[in-house]
Amino acid sequence: MAKVTYITPSGNEVVVEDAIGNLMEIAREYDVEGIEGACSGCCSCATCHVRVKPEWLDKTGRATEAEQDLIDLESDTDERSRLSCQVEMSEELDGLIVEVAPF
Amino acid sequence: METEFDHDPVAMILGLKDIRKAARNYETFSSNAPFRVPIPSEESLRSVRQFPIESDPPEHTEYREIVEPIFNRPNQPDYQKRITKIIEALVIPCMETDSFDAINDFALPLQSRALALLLNVPEEESELWIKWGVHVLREGDGSSKGREMEDYCKHAFLKSSEWGDDNLFSILNHASFQGRFLTDDEKLGFANLAFAGGRDTVINTLCVVLAHFADNNHDFVRLSEEPELINCAGEEFIRFATPLTHIGRKCPIDSDVHGVEVKANQLISLSWASANFDESVFLNPEIIKIDRKPNPHVAFGNGPHNCLGAPHARLLIRKFISVLIQKVSKVSLLACEPKIEKTKDYQRVNGYEHLKLCFFGK
Repeated sequence: MAKVTYITPSGNEVVVEDAIGNLMEIAREYDVEGIEGACSGCCSCATCHVRVKPEWLDKTGRATEAEQDLIDLESDTDERSRLSCQVEMSEELDGLIVEVAPF
Repeated sequence: METEFDHDPVAMILGLKDIRKAARNYETFSSNAPFRVPIPSEESLRSVRQFPIESDPPEHTEYREIVEPIFNRPNQPDYQKRITKIIEALVIPCMETDSFDAINDFALPLQSRALALLLNVPEEESELWIKWGVHVLREGDGSSKGREMEDYCKHAFLKSSEWGDDNLFSILNHASFQGRFLTDDEKLGFANLAFAGGRDTVINTLCVVLAHFADNNHDFVRLSEEPELINCAGEEFIRFATPLTHIGRKCPIDSDVHGVEVKANQLISLSWASANFDESVFLNPEIIKIDRKPNPHVAFGNGPHNCLGAPHARLLIRKFISVLIQKVSKVSLLACEPKIEKTKDYQRVNGYEHLKLCFFGK
């Protein structure tokens, strides 16, 4: 069972204990504030932008090329930015913490 | 680029990156421009300012929050099942004829029935809406059903309690804005946008999808074999169709817009259609690539005014493709006449005047 914590733009923590799927789908299922996922994972919208806590970056990896192309069009992004639809939860990511970017 | 609409000069912002920036900069490019956010202006076509679109944050944010629960309903599983049933009920009769008109026999009734579901009113109401035609405010022959639509909405506000308290009209009747009830004009402005906003745009996109399948059977077959591509294909059809060519913004003060001088209170255009074919972002933009990824199109706008109806439109297109690949083996084109949008300085194909098709069942 892998656990993920979302820190929302208003500072609340949403903890999901048995996270299965990608971070966008999980966030939508748990109604995490700030994650819309409008395009359902097609890299069209960037409404699922999160920042990965620095200590987890090695395990999640950085944005893929397709993802980065979209992130580059957004404001308020940095090297920790990921589209949560492109991050698949796994046992290796148990304990992951991400910050939801304001939209 | 500078062009002219309604006899006034209008600077057009064309590139994707520039448009995304401008769409978020409401202080320089304001939506606080009643009747003038659509281009050309709709001053002669409706009696009220549309909400929330013709306002800026922070008022826009509060207006928008009133109707977001209605426009986010497409995320509910039950809603998704009901959309599928509406689509099936229209696809099956088309399969039983040798020829059907994709606009009047299919896309227009689908848009109207699906809108009844979105607004949470009885589906029978949509029978009247279908008679308003593809573009309720401005038909190709210059006629307008705008007055009739406004009269209908006024009546709907009075009878909406019969439909429950969670339909668009009841919600607006009871909504509070800045500590007061909405005025009749504000309520009518919301309803006006709900009927005019997602009408020809959805119909045109549905027709683009059908025409593409008729011309490119290999994409239809591929989606049948790889249904996981449906969401991406939907985004690509929406990008390619970009049914809302552009939208207006008003410059409150004299501004320099990419080298074009814009006087205070003049309009600029955010050209979604141009941005979605920006070759610096989209490889071979004139080609429909059903697995295009990333696909950062702006067919639904961008920023705070991002289309309220986008979840509904996306769901409709996706479920439409899904039903088609399940029920239909081939789409055949019998006749078509593209609809050409002509202006002083450019023209573009935007949907169809006529589209005759035949479905071959599985």
